[in-house]
Amino acid sequence: MSDATGPGRRIMAVPAAVALGAVGALAAERMGFPALVGLGGGAVAALLAVLALPSVPTRRSVLFLLVAGGLGVLRHAPGSSPHRSVLLVTWALASLVTLVLLERLGAETTTPASGGAPLVARRREVARFSVVLAVIAAMTVALGVPFATDHLSRGVVAGREPTVGDAVSAPASLRTAEELDMTTRPRLSDRVVFTVDAERPDFWRGETFDAWDGIRWRRTDLRVFSLRRPSPTTVLVPALDPGAERGEDLTQTYRFESGFSDLVFAAPSARIIETDRYLRARADGSVFVAGLGANAFGEGAVYTVTSRRLASTESDLREASGADLPAWLSDLYRSVPTATPARVARLAERVTAPAANRYDKIRALEGWLGENTTYSIDAPTAPPGRDVVDDFLFRSRIGWCEQIASSLVVMARSVGIPARLATGFVPGTRDPLTGRFTVRERDAHAWAEIWFPGIGWQGFDPTASVPLAGEAGTDGSWLPSLRRSAPALAAVAVLVAALAFAAVVVVRRVRRRRARRATWAAATRHRLDRVGRRIGRARRPDETVGEYADALADALGRPEVATVGTVLDLEAFGPSGAGESERNAVDEVVASLEAVKGIP
Amino acid sequence: MSRRAVRRRASATGPGEFTVPAVLCFALAVYGIAGGAAAGEDATTAVGVFALACFVVGVWWPIAALAFVRVSVTAPPDASVGSVVPLRVTLVGRGRVEIRSADASDPWRRTALPATVTIGHRPAARGVVDTVRIQLRTSVPLGVFIRIRTYSVALPRPMYVAPRTEVRSVRSGRAPEERDRRRSRGSGIGEGDAVRSVREYVAGDPARLVHWPTSARRGGLHVREHEPPPTVGIAVVADLSGGRPERAAVDAMSVGVAALAAGDRVWIGTHESGGPASGEVTDRRELGRRLARARSGAPPPPPAGWTVHRAGGEA
Repeated sequence: MSDATGPGRRIMAVPAAVALGAVGALAAERMGFPALVGLGGGAVAALLAVLALPSVPTRRSVLFLLVAGGLGVLRHAPGSSPHRSVLLVTWALASLVTLVLLERLGAETTTPASGGAPLVARRREVARFSVVLAVIAAMTVALGVPFATDHLSRGVVAGREPTVGDAVSAPASLRTAEELDMTTRPRLSDRVVFTVDAERPDFWRGETFDAWDGIRWRRTDLRVFSLRRPSPTTVLVPALDPGAERGEDLTQTYRFESGFSDLVFAAPSARIIETDRYLRARADGSVFVAGLGANAFGEGAVYTVTSRRLASTESDLREASGADLPAWLSDLYRSVPTATPARVARLAERVTAPAANRYDKIRALEGWLGENTTYSIDAPTAPPGRDVVDDFLFRSRIGWCEQIASSLVVMARSVGIPARLATGFVPGTRDPLTGRFTVRERDAHAWAEIWFPGIGWQGFDPTASVPLAGEAGTDGSWLPSLRRSAPALAAVAVLVAALAFAAVVVVRRVRRRRARRATWAAATRHRLDRVGRRIGRARRPDETVGEYADALADALGRPEVATVGTVLDLEAFGPSGAGESERNAVDEVVASLEAVKGIP
Repeated sequence: MSRRAVRRRASATGPGEFTVPAVLCFALAVYGIAGGAAAGEDATTAVGVFALACFVVGVWWPIAALAFVRVSVTAPPDASVGSVVPLRVTLVGRGRVEIRSADASDPWRRTALPATVTIGHRPAARGVVDTVRIQLRTSVPLGVFIRIRTYSVALPRPMYVAPRTEVRSVRSGRAPEERDRRRSRGSGIGEGDAVRSVREYVAGDPARLVHWPTSARRGGLHVREHEPPPTVGIAVVADLSGGRPERAAVDAMSVGVAALAAGDRVWIGTHESGGPASGEVTDRRELGRRLARARSGAPPPPPAGWTVHRAGGEA
């Protein structure tokens, strides 16, 4: 309220420096500098602004710093800095403490009232308020952000138009391709490519491949379908994909941080896509942006996908039955290049021999791969001209996801199980602040998809940490459930608060009433007061009951009302109180007053 | 009064006022939520929701804090218009507040709760006051919103606010020099015309009081002792039915106070809620109470033999 200057100057500098330091670190990380540079710069700037400008009132300096911090946060929060959540929380807490401290110091500059109680110790009060406010703010953010996102966020944003440079520098995992060369090492960095707002983690699938030649994956069916506009666009259901027809819906909103992507990522299998782009779909259900990159997604572009997948359990997959793939498709997904050495098939048959069904066979193959191969992105590539899977299984036994997934697909096919290779991204890390999945270049992944009759394509990957086939129901985060129940929780909180308030009011009223009616005199006084209020002559606080009864007698023109005061005085101050007959007489008088409507 | 001071006093009459941090929080909330939603950027939305939480809590908290503060006040029974009178204010509640009398331009004073504090109150008008207005304000915990609440608190006993007093000289029924002489001499000779007795002359007795027949008969100088004259004083007739009733009250109060200070008896006639009221007052407090109760209406006629001072009446 008043200006905080003098002794408060030094203490104010601490939270202000922390807040601005956090904003500085956020900005530095976003611009590619070390966080410490921004942290130090922001903190020093805040300290100088507060401590080195004695002519400027501290309150004014601190408010300026808060404004600067707020603008900085708005400017740099959308970035993809690695410590964004931590820095945002730090900024929020430090700003909160700054405001609390500023208010407290303002109060301290006011002159104490004569005889007033001293204020609670500053440190204690600031700590107490800060903790309470931090809890309230955290709960509000936890409930409010999903609510705002669900109700206010736009599911489609055009974003920045990608430049040629963006297209050239984009990793292969963000570009549509007709083939996947297994002898090329992928680029895996920490750069964020996109974020996904989804209830549960899943593979963010980009493409699938069905034809394996021993070195690279290709697509057999090269047909492309234009998806009509406007948004939302319904994707063609891939042939014989039961999951895409009757599975559970999963809505995802993708926001690109990368400058370019012409792939439309989606959890298997995309059904409805909301976007402002022209799209095309392949026969396998994968979708990409039409226009050879000119129409691609740029930084800030947002689209929303609703996918469907049958949530299957292990027993579902073991007992899977129903329509299998048509013969021509079945042959396609079971085909193994003739050049692939026979020992691959023998190995697969040996590993799966004990298994009785398709699911157990895949699990057996996964188990063998897990036990006998090693994951490494630095693994040597296969020698030129050599079958990559054979080399991986019988020579190097070290490779990255593409070798492992390809081996699983080829081995599955070798034992007659329809399989294909899928590429895309693993879910990434969930941002604790926003609940979104942050997906980086290093999350690019390849995995196997196995066909189950009556269920459809199911993902399998021994290296993945996502719920795979047979793991329906695993979620791993409280945020989605919190988001789902946010409105209910808010309603319950409001209801509880309202009930508590009503209870307090009722208890107070009952207590007052009981206190008033504890004695005959109190009850009679209360009745007299009520009669007086009805005629618009409430008792003044300085008025005795006798005086009040006299006044009412005059006002009503009924002299007997004055005796009520006399008897009440007698009851209160007389040697033995009022007699029974006097009480009865008073009761009659008061009752007669109460009975009359529209007194006087 | 400066323009800033006028603005500040005017704002204090409202339910409260927003501060610069309020503007900051609100702007951050609007921009964060709207911008975050538009860009599909949840981190920005989170910043906006956080700012909104600060804004809402910052407004709600002071309002809730003052809603649960109970105020009771005791005041001295007598006061004068324009003079500061101490009010003893008991505050029951939690937290800390700033307090001042709403009827005065007193500065704010801070205290933690519960507390019993003394604040200055400067009555602005004459009358019998049974309620006073107290203002509390607080902006805890964020300083986003300064909640100002005005309490009309009933006093357990009324406070009589007398008119302000101006310096006056009064003329009673006697000449001033005679009155002075009477006050200073104290010789017991008396001032009236009736002779009570004679006594021997003592040095200093005026020669005009020598009673020659007795002096001749007894062979020495004797002087007369007179009965004192009938005691009279000032009858102040306060008629507040004229065009400037408060001016009349001030006039009556000033004359009465001056007369009492001069040692004169003072009779005052006013019109109260029950009709004309009159009587002699013996001290300033009693005079003030009578004038505090006075209302517009015809006062009673003054008693015979008193010097009459009419205050107010027809303009």
